[in-house]
Amino acid sequence: MKSLLATLALTTALTLPGLAMARPVTLTTTLSSYGGDGAYLALYVTDPSGAYAGSLWMAGGKSKYYEHLTDWYRATGGDTAQVDGITGASVGAGRTLEITLDLADALFDAGYTLHIDAAVEDMRDSPNEVAVPLTTAGAGTPVTGRRYVASFAYDM
Amino acid sequence: MRKTLALLVASTALTATLGFAAWSATRGPADAGPLPVAAMSQDGTPALPLILISDDDEDDDDDDRKGSWWGHDDDDDDDECDDDDDDGGCRGGARNPAPAGSKLPPQNGLFGTGAPPQVQVN
Repeated sequence: MKSLLATLALTTALTLPGLAMARPVTLTTTLSSYGGDGAYLALYVTDPSGAYAGSLWMAGGKSKYYEHLTDWYRATGGDTAQVDGITGASVGAGRTLEITLDLADALFDAGYTLHIDAAVEDMRDSPNEVAVPLTTAGAGTPVTGRRYVASFAYDM
Repeated sequence: MRKTLALLVASTALTATLGFAAWSATRGPADAGPLPVAAMSQDGTPALPLILISDDDEDDDDDDRKGSWWGHDDDDDDDECDDDDDDGGCRGGARNPAPAGSKLPPQNGLFGTGAPPQVQVN
């Protein structure tokens, strides 16, 4: 009886934290009506030291344009494996891109920053268009980008 | 004691059920390869339009783009980076990334193991 109890306690203790280690987070990016073609967007995260930690999403499927996402490209060397399985279409002016990702809890309130690099054909590149610290308190608070992003917010 | 035992049994059953469901959602038949995200949608609902193509993407047939600083002409049909042809023809020899739904997200420590990415453009 005691061993059964211990086993059950152990399995519960092991499985519950596992379920709680990640949560769905919705990233909503609305572009301004900048009057150009679809924008390429790289959403990625840097750690507390400012080093590239990984990519969350790539809007735009042709790698030959990634060099215009200059900060992301510098950090990754244009390695497309960084965005395998998390790449979608580019986003038109005035459109809203809504992505829901299962993100690790460890990203929040730990000094990580979410960045967006943006590029539009025949228009100026915009590295670090958005840079927003990932905090639970900051969830749902829209921020404005520098050139192409009218608003960005993450909700969880 | 019985109450504690009952609680532990219930919580174990609950977590095992949730864990199995999450695990099952990310597993397909052994020979089927990675499941598309659309296949993981709710039972009975139509597959979600995972990637909505912007109608003003860079593929438009404008004739005034030759020589643009994006360094390509307006004919994207001859995209040398498409189709995973590893002929080194595209810039830096880089292939295009796998689109969402065709592959699981990278194991970069940022993602959990739960629901696959979902995307929509409005």
